Order: sequence, then structure tokens, then C-alpha cells
Amino acid sequence: MLTIVPHLRTRRPSPTTIEYTVSTSPSLTFSLRILITLTILLRTLIGFSVLLLLYSRYDLAFPSTRIIIAPPFFTDERIWYTVHLILSSRFGLLALRTAPQIPVFILLPLSAAILYLLSLRIHTTESLLVLHGLGIQTSTSSATYLSSATTRFIPTAKIQDVLVNEAFKGFEVRYYLVIVVDEEEDVVVVFPRLLPRRAIVERVWRGAMGCLYAVEGENKMKV
Amino acid sequence: MVCDYFFPQPGGVESHMYQLSTKLIDRGHKVIIITHAYDERTGIRYLTNGLKVYHVPFLVLYRASTFPTVFSFFPMFRNIVIREEIEIVHGHASLSSLCHEAILHARTMGLRTVFTDHSLFGFADAGSILTNKLLKFTLSDVDHVVCVSHTCKENTVLRASLDPLMVSVIPNAVVAENFRPINHPSYPLETLDKPMTQRALGPHDTITIVVISRLFYNKGTDLLVAAIPRILAAHPHVKFIIAGSGPKAIDLEQMLERNVLQDRVAMLGPIRHEEVRDVMVRGHIYLHPSLTEAFGTVLVEAASCGLYVVCTQVGGIPEVLPAHMTVFAKPEEDDLVAATGRAITKLRKNQVRTEDFHDQVKKMYSWTDVAARTERVYDGISGVLSDAEFYGYDAADAASWSATRGRAGVQSFALIDRLKRYYGCGIWAGKLFCLCAVIDYILFLLLELWAPRDQIDIARNWPKKIIQEQPAKERMSRRDG
Repeated sequence: MLTIVPHLRTRRPSPTTIEYTVSTSPSLTFSLRILITLTILLRTLIGFSVLLLLYSRYDLAFPSTRIIIAPPFFTDERIWYTVHLILSSRFGLLALRTAPQIPVFILLPLSAAILYLLSLRIHTTESLLVLHGLGIQTSTSSATYLSSATTRFIPTAKIQDVLVNEAFKGFEVRYYLVIVVDEEEDVVVVFPRLLPRRAIVERVWRGAMGCLYAVEGENKMKV
Repeated sequence: MVCDYFFPQPGGVESHMYQLSTKLIDRGHKVIIITHAYDERTGIRYLTNGLKVYHVPFLVLYRASTFPTVFSFFPMFRNIVIREEIEIVHGHASLSSLCHEAILHARTMGLRTVFTDHSLFGFADAGSILTNKLLKFTLSDVDHVVCVSHTCKENTVLRASLDPLMVSVIPNAVVAENFRPINHPSYPLETLDKPMTQRALGPHDTITIVVISRLFYNKGTDLLVAAIPRILAAHPHVKFIIAGSGPKAIDLEQMLERNVLQDRVAMLGPIRHEEVRDVMVRGHIYLHPSLTEAFGTVLVEAASCGLYVVCTQVGGIPEVLPAHMTVFAKPEEDDLVAATGRAITKLRKNQVRTEDFHDQVKKMYSWTDVAARTERVYDGISGVLSDAEFYGYDAADAASWSATRGRAGVQSFALIDRLKRYYGCGIWAGKLFCLCAVIDYILFLLLELWAPRDQIDIARNWPKKIIQEQPAKERMSRRDG
């Protein structure tokens, strides 16, 4: 429900620029926004409880002196006081009781895996920005929330060709869009994670070629 | 077309597939070749004329055959078949496991299948028994079989217990233009840096004998090793040119060193297919000592180059060329030496008109003809031609016929009918083959769920040049004007 089949969105910020975005995210309706907010809340909650479990395990292994009297607000001690408050709350006591029951060699990898899963992005978005006379910029959203998107700009002078190719991928044959770059061994694959289907790839290819090598003065390009 | 053997590897099967595909494309069909990946050839490639080749990445086991994995090829194969909208699967060569697997999967998917056999096999040794069982498995459920010669047809029918009516004979062919003798009147003159071969041979002129083959046991290299010293001893003005490579090359070289024949025997090593003609035209006699051969395209090529052919009388070789172009020998040392002697004598007496060979061969063998005959097979199995027309039997006889036709698997794709056919393969083998077929079918159903058909893109066809219509339109417009 949250993701859909990769689909294409086209944007034309100026007459000589086209941006193609392939994304798995559906268009945002009100109910969808609420749903996404809810999942984010749920993720934060789960992430927080995993961290709490880890800390209580640590606290049991290496007990530290608790700060019980509330220190002034803007000090480091205040943080430890908050931790104490949480640990002595009902959730904290539950965590302190559960933590010793799980062996460490299970607890550590499991919580690492859960935290990694929580940091994964729901949607994958990849885009291709074609600037007439300048070049092409590809960008791919990162897998997790922790890192930012990978972008790459290829100037027109470096572009040998843009083409649609087919290749074996797993147990199937896929169409994909590539940019052949001068003096580089490997080609640059556009939309490398989503690998949209032929109809999208062909449309992007036509549009990109039209925009990149458009004749001067002929501003009306078909998209 | 599915086969393990394809370019860049040289050989008869490879060029057969290429030429046949090209001609079929010319006749307006769409042809795809599926083979396994070679060192530098991977992925999907286009050859001349828009022939598309899929080099599927698979493990190579022995002499360019892939490891038989039975089911692992299915998902890929299904994907390719769907995206290219394949209707008929045509497998080549009985040693290619890729081909057998493809035919099995194709039948599971409900496609028409044709199999072309390029080689002969024995019945006695362990390897043959295994291959024959495998062949029986595949051919139990194939629509039609094509053999390259009548001997090959007999062999295949016996090995796979087929109904002879579902086996056709379509020989190989050669591109005669690529195998022309030096300075043939119908082609432009070529200037070679070496002097032209004289037509009338004197008693002391050197006669060159050419041998081009892969140096394997089945190509009769041992026979060659034994015969060369004796031929050279008996005929002083004779030279040998040997081209090709293989495990037996070392035996040849040892023989040369033992008898100190290096100056009379030239070993060229491996040569490319397009160089074959240049080597052939340097000789007068072509010697072919093969122990087993289904057809022997190389004989046709040699004759087309205007060489007198000496060959062993095995397999389908006697069918290939008319008697006046060849001297036959039994596949033994003494007779091969004697036959070569006869050929040399005949050439010295100028009794053989080798310069006419080219035109005669050109009339006999052409790929266009092969493609037309193959197309007829395709029409026959896909129901364009009526059964009576295709198999040539009386419609009144249909009742007694249908039993064999069921055996031939012409009409039914139903799993139960296929299983019946597989079950007849043998006491144990039959059950094993049934099991394979059932697993294959289950796999097919799973794949339909896991990778549904509408998720697979249909591939674009190579833009075909329309040669016929363009001039017609111009003519029309001119007439209008």
C-alpha cells in the first residue's frame, strides 16, 4: 500500500531542462500522509525500545551511580537524570527485567538488524536531470535515512552516447538506460536500483536525447 | 534456435546455425539464438542482419558443453521465450545439454519443438549409452527431428526409437561464393603473391594435400599419423598442409619429428573459418580421415574450392558428394594410403576435371534451399500444412496412423500424454524422466506465480528493411507523375 510499481514523473523547470523521476512512492493523499506519519512514529517507538533494552543491559553489566536529585536544566547531569527517570518508569523496569533473560550474542546482532531495518527508506526515488548544453545529472536515493542521495553530473563533452541496452539480471533479461562516458571503462547505468520497465526507459531515452542534442532555436520539444 | 555451440567458436554446427538463421530472417522470420557465454562474449548481442544472440551465463563442462543443470535454465529460458514471443524452439546437436533442457522446457510451456542432429553415435560404450538415453528422453516429446544425412537419420531413429516419419533429412550447405577456386571465371580476378597453381600437372610437379580438421580422436587423427609417412615415402613429389588444433596435435608433431618430415608437412595450427578457403586453394587434394561424420560440410567446401577429395567411407560421407569428385577409402591405414595413391595418379593423368567442381557444388548446395526446407518443417509442425501434405500419408489411413502420431507427440501438450511418452523410455529411466517432467511442470506453475507474464517486457524487433516495397512505391509515383 505504501509503495507502488516504479512510475515516471516528468518536470520541466525551464524550456531547456527536463527532469525524469522514477519512484516507488505514490502521489501523497491526505490518508497516505497520515499513514506515513504513523509508520514513522511506530518506527521511532520500536527503535527507542530497542535502544532502551540495550542500555538497560549495559547498565546491569556496568552499574553507574544514578543522579536522583534533579540538576539544573542546561547541564550534562540533566541528561543522566532523564535516563534515570526513564529507567525507573514502568517501561524501564520492564526492560531491566527482560534484558538479562536474552543472551548477549543474540541481543546484539538482533538489535543491530532491527535498527538497520528501521533506518531503511520506504521509497526509492531515482532521477535523471537533463540540461541542454550542460550535461546530465543522475541521482539515486540512498537505501537508509542515515546517508544522503548519490548524485553524479556528467558534462556534455564527456558523454559519448546515451542508449538503451538489455542484459541478464538474475533470472531475467532487463532493459536499462546507460550513459557511455568518455575515457571510462564502465558505463553509467541510469536508475540502477529500480530498473524501470521498457516503456519508461524508452520514453526517458527519447526525451533525454531530444533535450540533450536539441537544435538551437527549436525550443518546442516533445516530452 | 538453441545450442551450446555458437560463434566465436569455429565449427560446422556453429556455421550451420548462423547461415540457417540468416536465411530464415531473409524469408521474413524472426530468429533468436540462445547459447552460453564465452570468455569475451557475454550478454545480448546482435549479429549481421539483426540476428540476436543471447549468451546465457552458464558453467562450461567439456568441449564447450554446459553443465547439465536440468532446471536452473528454466526461469531464464521462460523469460527469453516470453519477451521474444517465441513459437518454435529449434535445438541443435545431441551433445549440447542446453539444447535438451530447452526442448524439455519448451514442451512444458506448450511450444513446438524441432531438433537437429549433427552427429552419429555408437551403441556400445558407456558414453554413447548415456547420450542415447538422454536423447531418447528429449526426443520422446519433440515435434520433429531434422537430420543432416540419411545415415544420420537411420542412426537417430535407432538411438532414440523414433517414428521415421517425423524425421526429415535436410543437408548442410555451403556459401559457394566463400569457397571459390583461384581465378574462377565467374568472379573477379585475384592476384596472389604466389604463382598460380597450374591446371595440367606434370609427373614431377608437387601435389599438395590439405587436411583441415579439429585434431580429435573421432576426426581420425590417429589414422592420419599412421598414413602420412607412408604416403610421403611412396610419392616423392607430395606435400602436406595440416590446419587445425586439438589434443591429437602433439601426436602429429611427434610423428613429424620421428620421421624428419618437417619440410614436407606444414602444420598451420588453429585457423579461423574465413581462412579455410585460403588454405584450401593452396592444395590439390583434400584428405579427410574422419572415423565418424554425420555430414562433413568441409568436404563440400573442399570440392567447392576445386580440390579432389579423398575420404573415408563412414557415416553420411558417401551421400555428400558425387562419385567423380571423391575417392573413398575404408577407415584403415592401408586403404587410406592406397586411396590417396589412386587420387594422386588420377590427378597426374589429368583424369579429373577439378575446375568444374565449383559450379556443380554451387548447384547442389545452397542455404536458401536449406532454409526453405526447414521452413516447411516449421509449417508442418505448427499446422500450416496439413498432415497429409507434410507427412505424405493417405488420409484414409489415418486411423492406423494416429497411434504413431501420438508417439511422435505432434498434437498433445497435455501433461498426462507427455508422461505416457516419457514412461516408455525404459524401466528405470522412464520413471526418472517422468519425475523430471513433473518437476519441470510444477516449476513452470511456480514461475507463472513468481514472475507473471505481464511483468515481462516484450522485446522490440530489429527494424527490418523493406526492400520490396520501396521501389514499387517509387514506380507508382513515377507512373502517376
